[in-house]
Amino acid sequence: MSLCEAEKTFVLHGVEENFRLDGREREDYRPMELETDIVLHAFGSARLRLANTDVLVAVKIEIDVPFPERSKEGKLEFFVDCSANATPDFEGRGGEDLAVEIANTLSSAYRSKHAFDLTKLCILKGKKCWKVYVDILLLECGGNLFDAVSLAVKAALWNTQVPKVHGVNIDGNNIELNVSEELYDCDRLDVKNAPVMVTVCKIGEKCIVDPSVAEEQCSVGSIVVAVSGDKFSTVLQTGTGSLHPATLMESLKLGHRVAQRLDEALWATLRQIKPGQDVGFLK
Amino acid sequence: MPLDHKRINGPDETLPYSLFAKQSTPSWNQIFKELQKEGKRSDARGFLDHRKVFLKTGIVSQAKGSAYIELDNSKVIVSVFDPHEIPNRQDYSLKGEIYCEFKFAPFSCKKRRLHQKDNEENQYSAIMKQALESTVCRHEFPNFQVDIYALVLHNDGSCLSAAITAAGIALSHAGVPMYDIITSVTLGIQKDMILLDPNVLEQSLCSGPILDDTKNSDHGIVVISILNNHNQISQFYQSGMISLEKLNQTVELLQKACSDLVPLIQKCLVKHVIKTLKSSGEG
Repeated sequence: MSLCEAEKTFVLHGVEENFRLDGREREDYRPMELETDIVLHAFGSARLRLANTDVLVAVKIEIDVPFPERSKEGKLEFFVDCSANATPDFEGRGGEDLAVEIANTLSSAYRSKHAFDLTKLCILKGKKCWKVYVDILLLECGGNLFDAVSLAVKAALWNTQVPKVHGVNIDGNNIELNVSEELYDCDRLDVKNAPVMVTVCKIGEKCIVDPSVAEEQCSVGSIVVAVSGDKFSTVLQTGTGSLHPATLMESLKLGHRVAQRLDEALWATLRQIKPGQDVGFLK
Repeated sequence: MPLDHKRINGPDETLPYSLFAKQSTPSWNQIFKELQKEGKRSDARGFLDHRKVFLKTGIVSQAKGSAYIELDNSKVIVSVFDPHEIPNRQDYSLKGEIYCEFKFAPFSCKKRRLHQKDNEENQYSAIMKQALESTVCRHEFPNFQVDIYALVLHNDGSCLSAAITAAGIALSHAGVPMYDIITSVTLGIQKDMILLDPNVLEQSLCSGPILDDTKNSDHGIVVISILNNHNQISQFYQSGMISLEKLNQTVELLQKACSDLVPLIQKCLVKHVIKTLKSSGEG
């Protein structure tokens, strides 16, 4: 999609007037749809649809050996797959840069111990730990990927069921794990402080959140903030432009405020989800 | 990840010997307390002092432009090559492209780095590209690509900033049109302590929480790149857990630190000009 100058001016004026193309204000999000537990083979999953951005996240866990230098911690890895279904640009290796950028930003946002505690994934110090694979599939791109992905990841991790380990038998170098045989005897992951990302986009003189594809094209630069609790766990500048320090501070403030509202809204939605609800296009 | 079998990769599983050493290394908490008590750092710098900087242009004779930067023990070489057509591109792009590659030499860190780019290097390359894209007048070379390679010879912290600053010098040495001099500075935060231009030890001190209390547990690394005359931030990256107020404060500090570097770079470039003039006068 490419816009001509007149269209760009129209978008820009809308942002100035605080009345965007689809009638939203600058700090408003588009409607979202969230479903969890929709992939049967995964330990946890979520699908988030933000207007026409569609993200499917599935969490798989496996047993692994901890890194020798961090023997008390489990592992968490993010993989983003830009399916060519989303846009033809992603065909072949086209989406790779974007995928790597999103995955790196996520791992950077989850790295701090206060954002996500990896020590809880350790089973036996230095020997066994859980490795959590978070696979993110972009089904449709309608702008604002970072926000949608971070929300879906948080919901999928919230939904994840880690089997309980009752005991460990050590016989020489052999380690046997005594995993609970009950299907529903599982632990949940603690995602209370898992970061939520907000993309703050600068258009003209003003900053907006949740840009659509058209708005993303008009922006001169944007900031992705990952907020965990009331602190920033990652801030990243994206886009080609540069920002004035005052704009940067302003967008950080805006991102901080919006991220907290978004997090509250996410929790409110997650609380409403009842187990075993039969919804979604995958079921 | 597939390994390059033409190179010596070493055994599959090796451990750094330091893991087996007697646990005499002080804990992060001790190091932090020590720093706090001393009021200055291990190399007698104050908390807000930048390390001494050494700059030199033209160290790679075959590159169009090159620069070498030393921040005490951090040593980075950056070379810039002639623009060439963007490979594998069908459509004509109005703006030139920048390709950045950030690489740690295998022997640059405590642990041996592999020849293949890992996630950290990919991320740093992307950050470098972000920083330089808004510095270079990309409309001056449409449909062309400039390659920038940064190689870290010795990693003693703040390598990414060093590479960005040096890349700015290398670009001007290569005669690539630019808007402004770009300078970049790293900063580490641990609780209330702010460490400008951290070395590798201080960087790891700042990358995680040292005590388990969640109150006032700010920690993190901030990297900023600024175009000084225009007062524009071309790149901003933060990881860790930092509150909004702290982040505000650091941006101000970093702005000042960046502008302090500008005269050094100007001097280095003037030196280069004088040298070229002299040699052309002789010839």
